[in-house]
Amino acid sequence: MNELIDPRKAFGEAVIEAAQKNPNVVVLSADSSSGSGLANFPKLFPERHFEFGIMEQGVIGFASGLATTGKIPVFAAIAPFVTARPFEMFKNDLGYMNQNVKVVGRCAGLTYDQLGSTHHSIDDVALIRTIPGVMILSPGDPVTIKKSVHAMISHTGPCYLKIGNPKMPVLYPEDIDFQPGKGIVMQEGKDVALIGTGTVLSKAVGAAKLLEQKGISVRLIDMHTLKPVDRELILKAAREIGKIVTVEEHFIAGGLGSIVAEICSQEFPARIKMIGIGDFFASNGPYEQLLMKYGLQPDQICETIIRFLNTE
Amino acid sequence: MDSKEILKLEYTALNIRRNILRLIRAGEAGHVGGALSSVEILTALYFNLLRINPEDPTWSQRDRFVLSAGHKCLVLYSALAERGFFDKSVLDTYGALDSHIPGHPNMHKLPGVESNTGALGHGLSIAGGMALGFKLDKSPARVFVLMGDGELAEGSIWEAAAAASMHKLDNLIVFVDRNRLQISGPTIEVMSYEPLDERWRSFGWSVRTINGHDMNSIIANVKQAPFEKGKPSIIIADTIKSKGLSFAEGKLSYHYWKATPEEMKQAELDLEVIENQLKEKYSKEQQS
Repeated sequence: MNELIDPRKAFGEAVIEAAQKNPNVVVLSADSSSGSGLANFPKLFPERHFEFGIMEQGVIGFASGLATTGKIPVFAAIAPFVTARPFEMFKNDLGYMNQNVKVVGRCAGLTYDQLGSTHHSIDDVALIRTIPGVMILSPGDPVTIKKSVHAMISHTGPCYLKIGNPKMPVLYPEDIDFQPGKGIVMQEGKDVALIGTGTVLSKAVGAAKLLEQKGISVRLIDMHTLKPVDRELILKAAREIGKIVTVEEHFIAGGLGSIVAEICSQEFPARIKMIGIGDFFASNGPYEQLLMKYGLQPDQICETIIRFLNTE
Repeated sequence: MDSKEILKLEYTALNIRRNILRLIRAGEAGHVGGALSSVEILTALYFNLLRINPEDPTWSQRDRFVLSAGHKCLVLYSALAERGFFDKSVLDTYGALDSHIPGHPNMHKLPGVESNTGALGHGLSIAGGMALGFKLDKSPARVFVLMGDGELAEGSIWEAAAAASMHKLDNLIVFVDRNRLQISGPTIEVMSYEPLDERWRSFGWSVRTINGHDMNSIIANVKQAPFEKGKPSIIIADTIKSKGLSFAEGKLSYHYWKATPEEMKQAELDLEVIENQLKEKYSKEQQS
Protein backbone atom coordinates (compact mmCIF):
# COMPACT_ATOMS: atom_id res chain seq x y z
CA MET A 1 0.00 0.00 0.00
CA ASN A 2 1.37 3.38 -0.99
CA GLU A 3 1.85 6.00 1.71
CA LEU A 4 -0.96 8.56 1.88
CA ILE A 5 -0.07 12.26 2.21
CA ASP A 6 -2.23 15.40 2.42
CA PRO A 7 -1.67 17.25 -0.87
CA ARG A 8 -1.93 20.60 0.89
CA LYS A 9 0.83 19.58 3.30
CA ALA A 10 3.08 18.63 0.38
CA PHE A 11 2.22 21.91 -1.33
CA GLY A 12 2.83 24.05 1.76
CA GLU A 13 6.18 22.44 2.52
CA ALA A 14 7.33 22.99 -1.04
CA VAL A 15 6.33 26.67 -0.98
CA ILE A 16 8.35 27.14 2.21
CA GLU A 17 11.34 25.42 0.59
CA ALA A 18 10.99 27.67 -2.44
CA ALA A 19 10.70 30.78 -0.26
CA GLN A 20 13.84 29.80 1.63
CA LYS A 21 15.72 29.63 -1.66
CA ASN A 22 14.18 32.64 -3.37
CA PRO A 23 13.60 35.87 -1.40
CA ASN A 24 11.17 37.15 -4.04
CA VAL A 25 8.58 34.50 -3.22
CA VAL A 26 5.65 36.07 -1.36
CA VAL A 27 2.31 34.56 -0.36
CA LEU A 28 -1.09 36.23 -0.67
CA SER A 29 -4.06 34.95 1.26
CA ALA A 30 -7.78 35.50 0.80
CA ASP A 31 -8.41 34.16 4.29
CA SER A 32 -7.08 31.01 2.68
CA SER A 33 -3.44 30.37 3.63
CA SER A 34 -4.12 28.22 6.66
CA GLY A 35 -6.52 26.01 4.70
CA SER A 36 -4.01 25.71 1.87
CA GLY A 37 -1.22 24.10 3.85
CA LEU A 38 0.47 27.48 4.36
CA ALA A 39 -0.25 27.98 8.07
CA ASN A 40 3.48 28.01 8.82
CA PHE A 41 4.40 30.48 6.08
CA PRO A 42 3.45 33.68 7.98
CA LYS A 43 5.29 32.37 11.04
CA LEU A 44 8.48 31.82 9.06
CA PHE A 45 8.17 34.82 6.71
CA PRO A 46 5.92 37.41 8.40
CA GLU A 47 7.08 40.18 6.06
CA ARG A 48 6.32 38.11 2.98
CA HIS A 49 2.80 37.01 3.80
CA PHE A 50 -0.10 39.34 2.95
CA GLU A 51 -3.60 38.74 4.22
CA PHE A 52 -6.50 40.25 2.25
CA GLY A 53 -9.57 38.60 3.61
CA ILE A 54 -12.18 37.10 1.34
CA MET A 55 -11.61 39.12 -1.88
CA GLU A 56 -10.23 36.86 -4.59
CA GLN A 57 -10.73 39.34 -7.46
CA GLY A 58 -8.75 42.00 -5.67
CA VAL A 59 -6.01 39.59 -4.62
CA ILE A 60 -5.32 38.63 -8.25
CA GLY A 61 -4.89 42.32 -9.11
CA PHE A 62 -2.61 42.91 -6.11
CA ALA A 63 -0.59 39.84 -7.13
CA SER A 64 -0.20 41.26 -10.63
CA GLY A 65 1.02 44.59 -9.27
CA LEU A 66 3.44 42.89 -6.87
CA ALA A 67 4.83 40.86 -9.76
CA THR A 68 5.58 44.06 -11.70
CA THR A 69 7.99 44.94 -8.87
CA GLY A 70 9.87 41.64 -9.18
CA LYS A 71 8.06 39.61 -6.57
CA ILE A 72 6.83 36.07 -7.24
CA PRO A 73 3.38 35.99 -5.64
CA VAL A 74 1.83 32.65 -4.73
CA PHE A 75 -1.93 32.83 -4.16
CA ALA A 76 -3.64 29.68 -2.96
CA ALA A 77 -7.34 29.32 -2.16
CA ILE A 78 -10.30 27.06 -2.90
CA ALA A 79 -10.10 26.31 -6.63
CA PRO A 80 -13.36 27.83 -7.96
CA PHE A 81 -12.67 31.06 -6.11
CA VAL A 82 -9.30 31.60 -7.82
CA THR A 83 -10.46 30.57 -11.31
CA ALA A 84 -14.17 30.94 -12.13
CA ARG A 85 -14.87 33.83 -9.77
CA PRO A 86 -11.96 36.15 -10.69
CA PHE A 87 -11.68 34.86 -14.24
CA GLU A 88 -11.45 38.30 -15.83
CA MET A 89 -8.70 39.34 -13.39
CA PHE A 90 -6.84 36.11 -14.18
CA LYS A 91 -7.25 36.77 -17.90
CA ASN A 92 -6.30 40.46 -17.95
CA ASP A 93 -4.11 41.10 -14.91
CA LEU A 94 -2.12 37.86 -15.11
CA GLY A 95 -2.53 36.54 -18.66
CA TYR A 96 -2.75 39.66 -20.81
CA MET A 97 -0.23 41.48 -18.60
CA ASN A 98 1.91 38.32 -18.58
CA GLN A 99 2.79 38.61 -14.91
CA ASN A 100 4.83 36.11 -12.93
CA VAL A 101 2.09 35.05 -10.52
CA LYS A 102 1.39 31.52 -9.28
CA VAL A 103 -2.28 30.80 -8.62
CA VAL A 104 -3.07 27.61 -6.76
CA GLY A 105 -6.52 26.08 -6.72
CA ARG A 106 -6.73 23.66 -3.83
CA CYS A 107 -9.53 21.26 -2.99
CA ALA A 108 -10.01 21.11 -6.77
CA GLY A 109 -12.19 18.69 -8.70
CA LEU A 110 -14.88 17.09 -6.54
CA THR A 111 -12.67 16.94 -3.46
CA TYR A 112 -14.91 19.41 -1.62
CA ASP A 113 -17.36 16.57 -2.03
CA GLN A 114 -20.39 17.21 0.16
CA LEU A 115 -20.04 21.01 -0.04
CA GLY A 116 -21.70 20.92 -3.44
CA SER A 117 -21.29 22.57 -6.81
CA THR A 118 -20.35 26.03 -5.54
CA HIS A 119 -17.21 24.46 -4.10
CA HIS A 120 -16.45 21.88 -6.78
CA SER A 121 -13.98 22.91 -9.44
CA ILE A 122 -14.59 20.83 -12.52
CA ASP A 123 -14.36 23.69 -15.01
CA ASP A 124 -11.05 25.30 -14.02
CA VAL A 125 -8.90 23.71 -16.73
CA ALA A 126 -11.49 24.55 -19.39
CA LEU A 127 -11.55 28.16 -18.28
CA ILE A 128 -7.89 28.84 -17.59
CA ARG A 129 -6.54 27.15 -20.69
CA THR A 130 -8.29 29.73 -22.84
CA ILE A 131 -5.87 32.31 -21.44
CA PRO A 132 -2.77 32.53 -23.63
CA GLY A 133 0.55 31.98 -21.89
CA VAL A 134 -0.71 30.43 -18.64
CA MET A 135 0.99 27.19 -17.61
CA ILE A 136 -1.43 24.66 -16.06
CA LEU A 137 -0.06 21.99 -13.73
CA SER A 138 -2.21 19.13 -12.48
CA PRO A 139 0.07 16.76 -10.54
CA GLY A 140 -1.30 13.42 -9.38
CA ASP A 141 0.73 12.59 -6.28
CA PRO A 142 2.47 14.34 -3.37
CA VAL A 143 5.93 13.95 -4.90
CA THR A 144 4.96 15.64 -8.14
CA ILE A 145 3.00 18.31 -6.27
CA LYS A 146 6.27 19.34 -4.64
CA LYS A 147 8.08 19.20 -7.95
CA SER A 148 5.30 21.23 -9.57
CA VAL A 149 5.72 23.97 -6.97
CA HIS A 150 9.45 24.24 -7.67
CA ALA A 151 8.85 24.10 -11.41
CA MET A 152 6.27 26.89 -11.34
CA ILE A 153 8.49 29.10 -9.19
CA SER A 154 11.40 28.56 -11.61
CA HIS A 155 9.16 29.26 -14.61
CA THR A 156 8.73 32.93 -15.50
CA GLY A 157 5.10 33.68 -16.29
CA PRO A 158 1.60 33.07 -14.96
CA CYS A 159 0.84 29.55 -13.72
CA TYR A 160 -2.19 27.71 -12.42
CA LEU A 161 -1.56 24.71 -10.18
CA LYS A 162 -4.48 22.53 -9.11
CA ILE A 163 -4.36 20.14 -6.20
CA GLY A 164 -6.92 18.14 -4.29
CA ASN A 165 -7.90 17.82 -0.69
CA PRO A 166 -8.05 14.21 0.64
CA LYS A 167 -4.83 12.38 1.36
CA MET A 168 -3.43 10.86 -1.79
CA PRO A 169 -1.08 7.94 -2.45
CA VAL A 170 2.59 8.47 -3.24
CA LEU A 171 3.06 7.15 -6.77
CA TYR A 172 6.62 8.21 -7.48
CA PRO A 173 10.07 7.99 -5.91
CA GLU A 174 11.55 11.31 -4.74
CA ASP A 175 14.02 11.33 -7.63
CA ILE A 176 11.43 11.03 -10.40
CA ASP A 177 12.42 13.10 -13.44
CA PHE A 178 9.67 15.73 -13.53
CA GLN A 179 9.70 18.32 -16.27
CA PRO A 180 6.79 20.67 -16.86
CA GLY A 181 5.32 20.12 -20.30
CA LYS A 182 6.57 16.53 -20.47
CA GLY A 183 4.14 13.79 -19.57
CA ILE A 184 5.43 10.76 -17.67
CA VAL A 185 5.00 7.28 -19.15
CA MET A 186 4.34 5.34 -15.96
CA GLN A 187 4.01 2.03 -17.75
CA GLU A 188 4.53 0.88 -21.35
CA GLY A 189 1.81 -1.00 -23.21
CA LYS A 190 0.34 -1.65 -26.64
CA ASP A 191 -3.45 -2.24 -26.47
CA VAL A 192 -4.64 1.10 -25.14
CA ALA A 193 -3.15 4.40 -24.01
CA LEU A 194 -4.61 5.51 -20.68
CA ILE A 195 -3.94 9.16 -19.86
CA GLY A 196 -4.75 10.43 -16.40
CA THR A 197 -4.22 13.70 -14.61
CA GLY A 198 -4.37 15.22 -11.15
CA THR A 199 -6.55 13.95 -8.34
CA VAL A 200 -7.68 10.82 -10.20
CA LEU A 201 -4.30 9.77 -11.57
CA SER A 202 -4.16 7.13 -8.84
CA LYS A 203 -7.52 5.78 -10.03
CA ALA A 204 -6.08 5.42 -13.54
CA VAL A 205 -3.08 3.61 -12.02
CA GLY A 206 -5.49 1.23 -10.26
CA ALA A 207 -7.44 0.68 -13.48
CA ALA A 208 -4.23 -0.10 -15.39
CA LYS A 209 -3.38 -2.80 -12.83
CA LEU A 210 -6.81 -4.40 -13.22
CA LEU A 211 -6.53 -4.31 -17.02
CA GLU A 212 -3.08 -5.93 -16.91
CA GLN A 213 -4.60 -8.72 -14.78
CA LYS A 214 -7.10 -9.26 -17.56
CA GLY A 215 -4.31 -9.46 -20.12
CA ILE A 216 -4.79 -5.99 -21.58
CA SER A 217 -1.55 -4.15 -22.13
CA VAL A 218 -1.85 -0.48 -21.07
CA ARG A 219 0.41 2.46 -21.82
CA LEU A 220 -0.21 4.58 -18.75
CA ILE A 221 0.58 8.28 -19.01
CA ASP A 222 0.57 10.92 -16.29
CA MET A 223 -0.30 14.22 -17.99
CA HIS A 224 0.70 16.46 -15.09
CA THR A 225 1.01 19.51 -17.33
CA LEU A 226 -2.13 20.40 -19.24
CA LYS A 227 -0.67 23.53 -20.79
CA PRO A 228 1.65 23.48 -22.59
CA VAL A 229 0.59 19.88 -23.07
CA ASP A 230 2.97 17.16 -24.30
CA ARG A 231 1.66 16.97 -27.88
CA GLU A 232 4.35 14.55 -28.97
CA LEU A 233 3.49 12.04 -26.29
CA ILE A 234 -0.20 12.20 -27.23
CA LEU A 235 0.53 11.85 -30.95
CA LYS A 236 2.95 8.99 -30.28
CA ALA A 237 0.11 7.15 -28.51
CA ALA A 238 -2.23 7.95 -31.40
CA ARG A 239 0.26 6.68 -33.98
CA GLU A 240 1.49 3.61 -32.12
CA ILE A 241 -1.71 2.49 -30.37
CA GLY A 242 -4.59 4.40 -31.95
CA LYS A 243 -6.85 3.96 -28.91
CA ILE A 244 -6.74 6.55 -26.14
CA VAL A 245 -8.73 6.83 -22.91
CA THR A 246 -8.56 9.98 -20.79
CA VAL A 247 -9.43 10.14 -17.09
CA GLU A 248 -10.03 13.39 -15.25
CA GLU A 249 -12.02 14.78 -12.33
CA HIS A 250 -13.32 17.59 -14.53
CA PHE A 251 -16.03 18.29 -17.06
CA ILE A 252 -15.46 16.30 -20.24
CA ALA A 253 -16.00 19.65 -21.97
CA GLY A 254 -12.75 21.56 -22.07
CA GLY A 255 -10.48 19.36 -19.96
CA LEU A 256 -7.83 16.73 -20.62
CA GLY A 257 -10.10 14.71 -22.94
CA SER A 258 -10.84 17.79 -25.02
CA ILE A 259 -7.14 18.67 -25.18
CA VAL A 260 -6.25 15.19 -26.44
CA ALA A 261 -9.14 15.20 -28.92
CA GLU A 262 -8.21 18.63 -30.28
CA ILE A 263 -4.68 17.46 -31.01
CA CYS A 264 -5.53 14.02 -32.42
CA SER A 265 -8.47 15.12 -34.54
CA GLN A 266 -6.26 17.57 -36.38
CA GLU A 267 -2.96 15.74 -36.52
CA PHE A 268 -3.50 11.98 -36.20
CA PRO A 269 -7.08 10.82 -35.64
CA ALA A 270 -7.39 8.11 -33.01
CA ARG A 271 -10.32 6.49 -31.20
CA ILE A 272 -10.80 8.37 -27.96
CA LYS A 273 -12.90 7.67 -24.87
CA MET A 274 -13.17 10.51 -22.38
CA ILE A 275 -13.96 9.64 -18.78
CA GLY A 276 -15.03 12.62 -16.69
CA ILE A 277 -18.10 14.60 -15.65
CA GLY A 278 -20.90 15.21 -18.17
CA ASP A 279 -22.92 18.36 -18.78
CA PHE A 280 -24.54 18.68 -15.37
CA PHE A 281 -23.77 20.03 -11.91
CA ALA A 282 -22.20 17.25 -9.90
CA SER A 283 -23.99 15.96 -6.84
CA ASN A 284 -22.79 16.03 -3.24
CA GLY A 285 -21.72 13.31 -0.85
CA PRO A 286 -18.67 11.37 0.36
CA TYR A 287 -15.76 11.80 -2.06
CA GLU A 288 -15.17 8.18 -3.00
CA GLN A 289 -18.90 7.67 -3.53
CA LEU A 290 -19.05 10.72 -5.78
CA LEU A 291 -16.21 9.35 -7.87
CA MET A 292 -18.14 6.10 -8.11
CA LYS A 293 -21.29 7.97 -9.18
CA TYR A 294 -19.34 9.37 -12.12
CA GLY A 295 -17.46 6.23 -13.08
CA LEU A 296 -14.08 7.33 -11.81
CA GLN A 297 -13.18 4.35 -9.58
CA PRO A 298 -10.51 1.95 -10.88
CA ASP A 299 -12.89 -0.98 -11.51
CA GLN A 300 -15.30 1.32 -13.35
CA ILE A 301 -12.53 2.84 -15.47
CA CYS A 302 -11.38 -0.73 -16.21
CA GLU A 303 -14.90 -1.75 -17.31
CA THR A 304 -15.31 1.35 -19.47
CA ILE A 305 -12.02 0.62 -21.20
CA ILE A 306 -12.94 -3.00 -21.84
CA ARG A 307 -16.25 -1.89 -23.40
CA PHE A 308 -14.38 0.70 -25.45
CA LEU A 309 -11.91 -1.88 -26.73
CA ASN A 310 -14.73 -4.32 -27.52
CA THR A 311 -16.70 -1.87 -29.65
CA GLU A 312 -14.24 -1.29 -32.48
CA MET B 1 3.73 77.50 -7.42
CA ASP B 2 5.47 79.91 -9.83
CA SER B 3 2.85 81.34 -12.22
CA LYS B 4 5.20 81.03 -15.19
CA GLU B 5 5.59 77.35 -14.48
CA ILE B 6 1.82 76.98 -14.30
CA LEU B 7 1.41 78.82 -17.59
CA LYS B 8 3.96 76.52 -19.18
CA LEU B 9 2.00 73.52 -17.96
CA GLU B 10 -1.21 75.03 -19.33
CA TYR B 11 0.46 75.29 -22.74
CA THR B 12 1.46 71.65 -22.40
CA ALA B 13 -2.14 70.76 -21.58
CA LEU B 14 -3.18 72.56 -24.78
CA ASN B 15 -0.66 70.50 -26.76
CA ILE B 16 -2.03 67.34 -25.18
CA ARG B 17 -5.55 68.34 -26.23
CA ARG B 18 -4.18 68.89 -29.75
CA ASN B 19 -2.64 65.43 -29.62
CA ILE B 20 -6.06 64.04 -28.69
CA LEU B 21 -7.56 65.68 -31.79
CA ARG B 22 -4.71 64.19 -33.83
CA LEU B 23 -5.64 60.73 -32.52
CA ILE B 24 -9.30 61.29 -33.37
CA ARG B 25 -8.35 62.43 -36.87
CA ALA B 26 -6.39 59.19 -37.31
CA GLY B 27 -8.94 56.83 -35.79
CA GLU B 28 -12.03 58.84 -36.75
CA ALA B 29 -13.55 58.16 -33.32
CA GLY B 30 -12.64 57.54 -29.70
CA HIS B 31 -13.49 57.94 -26.02
CA VAL B 32 -12.85 61.66 -26.02
CA GLY B 33 -15.07 62.93 -23.18
CA GLY B 34 -13.19 61.34 -20.29
CA ALA B 35 -9.83 61.90 -21.98
CA LEU B 36 -10.41 65.64 -22.21
CA SER B 37 -11.70 65.87 -18.65
CA SER B 38 -8.43 64.45 -17.31
CA VAL B 39 -5.93 66.42 -19.41
CA GLU B 40 -4.83 68.71 -16.56
CA ILE B 41 -4.35 65.74 -14.21
CA LEU B 42 -2.11 63.90 -16.67
CA THR B 43 -0.26 67.07 -17.60
CA ALA B 44 0.54 67.74 -13.94
CA LEU B 45 1.62 64.12 -13.47
CA TYR B 46 3.79 63.67 -16.55
CA PHE B 47 5.31 67.17 -16.60
CA ASN B 48 5.74 67.91 -12.94
CA LEU B 49 4.95 65.19 -10.43
CA LEU B 50 6.03 61.76 -11.67
CA ARG B 51 9.64 60.69 -11.17
CA ILE B 52 10.13 59.12 -14.58
CA ASN B 53 12.66 59.02 -17.37
CA PRO B 54 11.35 58.74 -20.94
CA GLU B 55 14.84 57.65 -21.99
CA ASP B 56 14.67 54.74 -19.57
CA PRO B 57 10.95 53.89 -19.33
CA THR B 58 11.51 50.74 -17.24
CA TRP B 59 13.84 52.36 -14.68
CA SER B 60 13.14 50.33 -11.54
CA GLN B 61 12.81 53.30 -9.16
CA ARG B 62 10.30 55.19 -11.32
CA ASP B 63 6.90 56.26 -10.09
CA ARG B 64 4.08 54.30 -11.67
CA PHE B 65 0.89 55.60 -13.23
CA VAL B 66 -1.99 53.18 -13.69
CA LEU B 67 -4.84 54.32 -15.90
CA SER B 68 -7.60 52.28 -14.32
CA ALA B 69 -10.19 53.83 -16.64
CA GLY B 70 -8.39 52.43 -19.66
CA HIS B 71 -10.85 53.93 -22.14
CA LYS B 72 -9.30 57.31 -21.34
CA CYS B 73 -6.23 56.08 -23.23
CA LEU B 74 -6.28 59.02 -25.65
CA VAL B 75 -5.04 61.32 -22.90
CA LEU B 76 -2.40 58.79 -21.81
CA TYR B 77 -1.03 58.38 -25.33
CA SER B 78 -1.11 62.14 -25.83
CA ALA B 79 0.76 62.83 -22.59
CA LEU B 80 3.34 60.09 -23.18
CA ALA B 81 3.98 61.35 -26.72
CA GLU B 82 4.27 64.95 -25.50
CA ARG B 83 6.71 63.82 -22.78
CA GLY B 84 8.88 62.06 -25.37
CA PHE B 85 8.25 58.39 -24.64
CA PHE B 86 7.77 57.81 -28.37
CA ASP B 87 7.56 59.76 -31.58
CA LYS B 88 4.35 61.70 -32.11
CA SER B 89 3.91 60.04 -35.51
CA VAL B 90 2.72 56.96 -33.57
CA LEU B 91 -0.43 58.97 -32.76
CA ASP B 92 -1.35 58.85 -36.46
CA THR B 93 -1.71 55.06 -36.27
CA TYR B 94 -4.70 55.16 -33.90
CA GLY B 95 -7.30 52.71 -35.20
CA ALA B 96 -4.92 51.01 -37.64
CA LEU B 97 -4.27 47.26 -37.73
CA ASP B 98 -1.58 46.26 -35.20
CA SER B 99 -1.23 49.84 -33.97
CA HIS B 100 0.86 50.26 -30.81
CA ILE B 101 -1.91 52.43 -29.42
CA PRO B 102 -5.04 50.28 -29.25
CA GLY B 103 -8.41 51.50 -27.95
CA HIS B 104 -7.29 50.46 -24.47
CA PRO B 105 -3.63 50.58 -23.39
CA ASN B 106 -1.27 47.61 -23.68
CA MET B 107 2.00 47.75 -21.72
CA HIS B 108 3.65 45.31 -24.12
CA LYS B 109 3.04 47.57 -27.10
CA LEU B 110 4.09 51.01 -25.91
CA PRO B 111 6.84 52.37 -23.65
CA GLY B 112 5.52 54.19 -20.59
CA VAL B 113 2.31 52.17 -20.24
CA GLU B 114 2.37 50.38 -16.88
CA SER B 115 -0.66 48.08 -17.07
CA ASN B 116 -3.23 46.60 -19.43
CA THR B 117 -6.52 48.16 -18.50
CA GLY B 118 -9.85 48.60 -20.21
CA ALA B 119 -12.02 46.24 -18.21
CA LEU B 120 -13.08 48.64 -15.46
CA GLY B 121 -12.31 48.14 -11.80
CA HIS B 122 -8.92 46.43 -12.21
CA GLY B 123 -6.48 49.32 -11.88
CA LEU B 124 -6.69 50.01 -8.18
CA SER B 125 -5.83 46.42 -7.22
CA ILE B 126 -2.90 46.32 -9.64
CA ALA B 127 -1.65 49.67 -8.35
CA GLY B 128 -2.10 48.48 -4.77
CA GLY B 129 0.13 45.49 -5.52
CA MET B 130 2.78 47.80 -6.95
CA ALA B 131 2.60 50.00 -3.87
CA LEU B 132 2.86 46.93 -1.62
CA GLY B 133 5.93 45.76 -3.56
CA PHE B 134 7.59 49.17 -3.10
CA LYS B 135 6.86 49.10 0.62
CA LEU B 136 8.43 45.66 0.86
CA ASP B 137 11.52 46.89 -0.97
CA LYS B 138 11.58 50.17 0.97
CA SER B 139 11.57 51.91 -2.40
CA PRO B 140 10.72 55.62 -2.57
CA ALA B 141 8.63 55.04 -5.72
CA ARG B 142 4.99 56.06 -5.56
CA VAL B 143 2.00 54.75 -7.45
CA PHE B 144 -0.61 57.01 -9.04
CA VAL B 145 -3.99 55.91 -10.35
CA LEU B 146 -6.71 57.59 -12.38
CA MET B 147 -10.23 56.20 -12.10
CA GLY B 148 -13.47 57.40 -13.60
CA ASP B 149 -16.45 58.17 -11.38
CA GLY B 150 -18.71 55.76 -13.29
CA GLU B 151 -16.07 53.08 -12.73
CA LEU B 152 -16.60 53.29 -8.98
CA ALA B 153 -19.66 51.03 -9.29
CA GLU B 154 -17.32 48.07 -9.90
CA GLY B 155 -17.21 46.03 -6.69
CA SER B 156 -13.55 45.17 -7.19
CA ILE B 157 -12.68 48.84 -6.59
CA TRP B 158 -13.99 48.55 -3.05
CA GLU B 159 -12.09 45.31 -2.43
CA ALA B 160 -8.93 47.20 -3.38
CA ALA B 161 -9.97 50.26 -1.38
CA ALA B 162 -10.24 48.21 1.80
CA ALA B 163 -6.98 46.35 1.17
CA ALA B 164 -4.96 49.49 0.39
CA SER B 165 -6.10 50.99 3.66
CA MET B 166 -5.54 47.78 5.65
CA HIS B 167 -1.99 47.52 4.29
CA LYS B 168 -1.34 51.23 4.99
CA LEU B 169 -0.33 52.05 1.44
CA ASP B 170 0.45 55.73 1.85
CA ASN B 171 2.60 55.57 -1.29
CA LEU B 172 -0.61 55.22 -3.30
CA ILE B 173 -2.20 58.41 -4.67
CA VAL B 174 -5.46 58.09 -6.55
CA PHE B 175 -7.45 60.54 -8.67
CA VAL B 176 -11.13 60.15 -9.38
CA ASP B 177 -12.03 62.09 -12.53
CA ARG B 178 -15.47 63.16 -11.34
CA ASN B 179 -16.98 64.43 -14.58
CA ARG B 180 -20.37 63.17 -13.36
CA LEU B 181 -21.37 61.52 -16.64
CA GLN B 182 -21.32 57.94 -17.86
CA ILE B 183 -22.74 56.30 -21.00
CA SER B 184 -26.32 56.03 -19.81
CA GLY B 185 -26.59 59.38 -18.07
CA PRO B 186 -25.52 61.36 -15.01
CA THR B 187 -23.55 59.14 -12.64
CA ILE B 188 -25.79 60.02 -9.68
CA GLU B 189 -28.79 58.74 -11.65
CA VAL B 190 -27.19 55.60 -13.11
CA MET B 191 -25.62 54.30 -9.89
CA SER B 192 -24.63 56.83 -7.32
CA TYR B 193 -21.66 56.30 -5.05
CA GLU B 194 -22.01 59.80 -3.63
CA PRO B 195 -21.01 61.21 -1.29
CA LEU B 196 -17.64 60.04 -2.59
CA ASP B 197 -15.59 61.80 0.07
CA GLU B 198 -17.46 60.17 2.95
CA ARG B 199 -17.43 56.78 1.27
CA TRP B 200 -13.67 56.81 0.73
CA ARG B 201 -13.03 58.20 4.19
CA SER B 202 -15.06 55.36 5.68
CA PHE B 203 -12.80 52.92 3.82
CA GLY B 204 -9.79 54.40 5.62
CA TRP B 205 -8.53 56.79 2.97
CA SER B 206 -7.43 60.38 3.30
CA VAL B 207 -9.62 62.41 0.96
CA ARG B 208 -9.42 65.82 -0.73
CA THR B 209 -11.72 67.36 -3.30
CA ILE B 210 -10.31 69.80 -5.84
CA ASN B 211 -11.03 71.46 -9.17
CA GLY B 212 -9.52 68.95 -11.58
CA HIS B 213 -8.74 71.59 -14.18
CA ASP B 214 -6.75 73.76 -11.78
CA MET B 215 -3.11 72.89 -12.41
CA ASN B 216 -1.90 74.70 -9.33
CA SER B 217 -4.32 72.88 -7.09
CA ILE B 218 -3.49 69.45 -8.56
CA ILE B 219 0.22 69.94 -8.03
CA ALA B 220 -0.01 71.58 -4.63
CA ASN B 221 -2.19 68.78 -3.28
CA VAL B 222 -0.12 65.92 -4.65
CA LYS B 223 2.98 67.54 -3.18
CA GLN B 224 1.35 67.24 0.23
CA ALA B 225 0.65 63.51 -0.20
CA PRO B 226 0.37 61.37 1.75
CA PHE B 227 -2.28 63.57 3.30
CA GLU B 228 -2.03 61.42 6.41
CA LYS B 229 0.82 59.10 7.24
CA GLY B 230 -0.15 55.45 6.93
CA LYS B 231 -3.20 56.12 4.76
CA PRO B 232 -3.65 55.99 0.99
CA SER B 233 -4.59 59.36 -0.51
CA ILE B 234 -7.45 60.05 -2.89
CA ILE B 235 -8.14 63.26 -4.78
CA ILE B 236 -11.68 63.67 -6.03
CA ALA B 237 -11.14 65.92 -9.03
CA ASP B 238 -14.23 67.77 -10.19
CA THR B 239 -14.01 68.05 -13.94
CA ILE B 240 -16.03 68.80 -17.05
CA LYS B 241 -16.46 66.03 -19.56
CA SER B 242 -15.00 66.92 -23.00
CA LYS B 243 -13.34 69.99 -21.45
CA GLY B 244 -12.08 72.38 -24.12
CA LEU B 245 -14.54 71.61 -26.92
CA SER B 246 -17.33 74.21 -26.85
CA PHE B 247 -19.91 72.00 -28.52
CA ALA B 248 -19.20 68.93 -26.41
CA GLU B 249 -18.49 70.13 -22.87
CA GLY B 250 -20.69 68.43 -20.31
CA LYS B 251 -22.63 66.55 -22.98
CA LEU B 252 -23.32 62.86 -22.64
CA SER B 253 -23.16 62.17 -26.38
CA TYR B 254 -19.43 62.90 -26.53
CA HIS B 255 -18.39 60.08 -24.20
CA TYR B 256 -17.42 58.37 -27.45
CA TRP B 257 -17.02 60.84 -30.30
CA LYS B 258 -17.30 59.95 -33.95
CA ALA B 259 -16.08 63.25 -35.30
CA THR B 260 -17.74 64.93 -38.26
CA PRO B 261 -15.53 67.26 -40.37
CA GLU B 262 -17.54 70.24 -39.09
CA GLU B 263 -17.06 69.23 -35.47
CA MET B 264 -13.34 68.69 -36.01
CA LYS B 265 -13.05 72.15 -37.55
CA GLN B 266 -14.87 73.63 -34.57
CA ALA B 267 -12.68 71.68 -32.16
CA GLU B 268 -9.57 73.13 -33.79
CA LEU B 269 -11.03 76.64 -33.52
CA ASP B 270 -11.85 76.03 -29.85
CA LEU B 271 -8.27 75.10 -29.10
CA GLU B 272 -7.10 78.21 -30.96
CA VAL B 273 -9.25 80.26 -28.61
CA ILE B 274 -7.55 78.58 -25.64
CA GLU B 275 -4.18 79.30 -27.20
CA ASN B 276 -5.04 82.99 -27.60
CA GLN B 277 -6.15 83.14 -23.98
CA LEU B 278 -2.87 81.63 -22.88
CA LYS B 279 -0.93 84.08 -25.06
CA GLU B 280 -2.79 86.95 -23.46
CA LYS B 281 -2.03 85.55 -20.03
CA TYR B 282 1.60 85.26 -21.05
CA SER B 283 1.76 88.91 -22.18
CA LYS B 284 0.31 90.03 -18.87
CA GLU B 285 2.89 87.90 -17.07
CA GLN B 286 5.66 89.57 -19.05
CA GLN B 287 4.35 93.02 -18.22
CA SER B 288 3.98 92.38 -14.52
